[in-house]
Amino acid sequence: MLERLQTDILILGSGGAGLFAALHAHAAAPDLSITLATKGLLGKCGCTRMVQGGYNVALNPGDSIERHFMDTIEGGKWLPDQDLAWTLVTQAVVRVRELENEVGCFFDRNPDGTLHGKAFAGQTFDRTVHKGDLTGIEIINRLMEQVWKRPGVAKLEEHRALALIPARDGASVSGVLMIDVRTGGLRFVEAKAVLMATGGGPTMYRYHTPSGDKSMDGLSMALRAGLKLRDMEMVQFHPTGLLAGPDTRMTGTVLEEGLRGAGGYLLDGGMRRFMADYDPKLERATRDVVSRSIYAEMKAGRTTPNGGVYIQMSHLGPKDVAKKFKGMVDRCRDCGFDLAGGLVEVVPTAHYFMGGVQCRPDTSTEWPGLFVAGEDASGMHGANRLGGNGVANSTVFGGIAGDVMPGWIAAHPGRRAPDEDVLAAEIARAQHPFGKTPGNVHVLRERLMDLMWDEVGVVRDAAGIARGLAGLDALEAELLETGVADGDRAFNLTWHDWLNLRSLVETSRVIALAAGRRENSRGAHFRSDFPEPGDLDTSTYTVVRQGAAGLAITEEPVQFTIVRPGQSLLDVKEAAE
Amino acid sequence: MTPSGKPDLSVSIWRGGADGAYRTYSVPSRDSQTVLDVVTYVQRHLDPTLSYRFACRVGMCGSCAMTVNGRPRWTCRTHVSRVAKGDKLTVGPLENLPVVKDLATDMRPFFEKWQDAKGVFEPSKTRDDAIEPIRPDTRQRQLADAGVECINCGVCYAACDTVKWNTDYLGPAALNRAWTLANDVRDAGQTERLQAVASGGGCHACHSHQSCQEHCPQTLNPTASIAGLKRLTALAYLRGEIEA
Repeated sequence: MLERLQTDILILGSGGAGLFAALHAHAAAPDLSITLATKGLLGKCGCTRMVQGGYNVALNPGDSIERHFMDTIEGGKWLPDQDLAWTLVTQAVVRVRELENEVGCFFDRNPDGTLHGKAFAGQTFDRTVHKGDLTGIEIINRLMEQVWKRPGVAKLEEHRALALIPARDGASVSGVLMIDVRTGGLRFVEAKAVLMATGGGPTMYRYHTPSGDKSMDGLSMALRAGLKLRDMEMVQFHPTGLLAGPDTRMTGTVLEEGLRGAGGYLLDGGMRRFMADYDPKLERATRDVVSRSIYAEMKAGRTTPNGGVYIQMSHLGPKDVAKKFKGMVDRCRDCGFDLAGGLVEVVPTAHYFMGGVQCRPDTSTEWPGLFVAGEDASGMHGANRLGGNGVANSTVFGGIAGDVMPGWIAAHPGRRAPDEDVLAAEIARAQHPFGKTPGNVHVLRERLMDLMWDEVGVVRDAAGIARGLAGLDALEAELLETGVADGDRAFNLTWHDWLNLRSLVETSRVIALAAGRRENSRGAHFRSDFPEPGDLDTSTYTVVRQGAAGLAITEEPVQFTIVRPGQSLLDVKEAAE
Repeated sequence: MTPSGKPDLSVSIWRGGADGAYRTYSVPSRDSQTVLDVVTYVQRHLDPTLSYRFACRVGMCGSCAMTVNGRPRWTCRTHVSRVAKGDKLTVGPLENLPVVKDLATDMRPFFEKWQDAKGVFEPSKTRDDAIEPIRPDTRQRQLADAGVECINCGVCYAACDTVKWNTDYLGPAALNRAWTLANDVRDAGQTERLQAVASGGGCHACHSHQSCQEHCPQTLNPTASIAGLKRLTALAYLRGEIEA
């Protein structure tokens, strides 16, 4: 049974991008019907809420958008789409004022009442606006209140998106097939405009930070729709995820960067401080360097009982640590670990996905009617995302999508009926596991996470990537023969685990393919067989598209539309002044 | 017995809707194990049809609250050793909210009451205005800050006796949010909000049993926030700004 609904604007996701899109679209066109669908509860699933650090914005008179832009381009190792990055840094200013003045967020102040900007790695100005170390909670709580306030925005909570369904022309979007998680029923929501803002979330790795509901569904849907995905090799690892042992949900979750910044030590399993072997900046080296160093210690077998390394804070004084890092210390304590006075096991952990659907600065995509924002989109960050640019990205572009979609609908009125054949095929695909003998989905998930961690992880090479691709094929074949017991489909988490795994296998293959194509090392992507960054002037980015003949990968030259390697907007600006 | 050398946990879990029942499972005990890990183990290894809700895994989203051995708690941040009684755990859905299935409740009424309490910022400025300088050491700002880190997990709502007896009662979280807004000098909706929280199910319905502040995982004190609202609404009434 398929239930069919119609709406003008359909928004997938309730993170910073989805909620901002709903507010902006509703303000721009209160007469349009807007429907927001989200995999969990509104504003409570996804990753915006988990933002600890803050929001990068050039609001201080001593800072400039040009400086924020240059930090973003240099941090991204010259791979970002410069027009997208420029949109990000310029609109962040407007969005932070909107968050404070209209949405109701209150960010931390200096003693004189002005906005506080904290220092964050990789930036030349202290521009990260924050609310303590729980910035995401403040942003999402205030946004969700505003969205709940507007009955004109229909809410489909616990609705999992399954597929982007094309119109009969095959080249524009008709709507989205989804499961109502609570009933297990299928729904097709036809819409004049669709925003995909489901968030990325590289949870195919043994250790990962994103919210447990994340499984790259958006990019898996975009792949099957034949859309271009760029920078798919770019998976950002955070150096210090909590390591709590087998069968623990909290394993992989972030222990904040500030611990190392404040003087925390990293020790191997034999209690030796090892970072001097890798970088003179020791524990304060950049995220990618520390991640690779820990990974090397793990490969060499110098590990703690659960296979990671230790972080030690106690030499800084347990009382001071408990005060300065209260959130982290409390979290560890609740889970049985003493961060302030003892040793806590850590591992590098997959954190953020820079790759995604290729889009324009107005969030439009190749498919008329389909828009994309947040971690599902790509090009803003290039090879590496600066801490504090993630929530800026989702809120800036989500808001833009909300501004743009009503105008797009006005210019392209009328409904686009779905391609019923694709719809029927996707319905069958979602129910595939019910036709197979029930098996152990969990074991396959563990195997995927080990495979990606070992072969396409922090440090990559051609042989490992080839093993990864072969392993993914084998795993997919097994998954397709592994069933889920049919009976009660309502709130059937095991069915969703199966669907999650299928999304992850599909996107993992694209990651591996792109990682194999990039024969240099930039930002988050490190090839031990090609350790050099390569020529910046002739930088390319990878594009993967699924066609009738399978996955096709190409490399496109980066267009330096604003600034070229070796130049800086700051020189231009200072010369003009 | 398990690798940790400890006996297995005997875990009773609510199955079904409002008319469901507890079913008991045997789960290996581990040194590092939260209640969410136990529930996850049951779904992954013992009964794939078990339904529950979680998201962030670390106490930021407030999706995974359940009743554990009689008390509402975040399950992701509750280590088994802190709550197990003689290797026994009983895990049920949150009280005072409709059960969707097994351990998942419908949180809609909780968020509807949040709106009924006008728990939403009413702007007095726009994105074209500069951000208002507000000193963090002012009394009003400190009062707002003290209550603002609520993650809307529903633990206080499930723990509140008044919510149980009085279905109109807005509940501790919604009123706590109203109080933080009452102390936000940027907000333009003060009178309407005070009128809303002075209503029949508003702050004056609270009996100050203090369950909310005893159970709040964020160590917030909604009881004190509600007391603040009681004072503010009384003053506003005396001034003729709101109706009884």
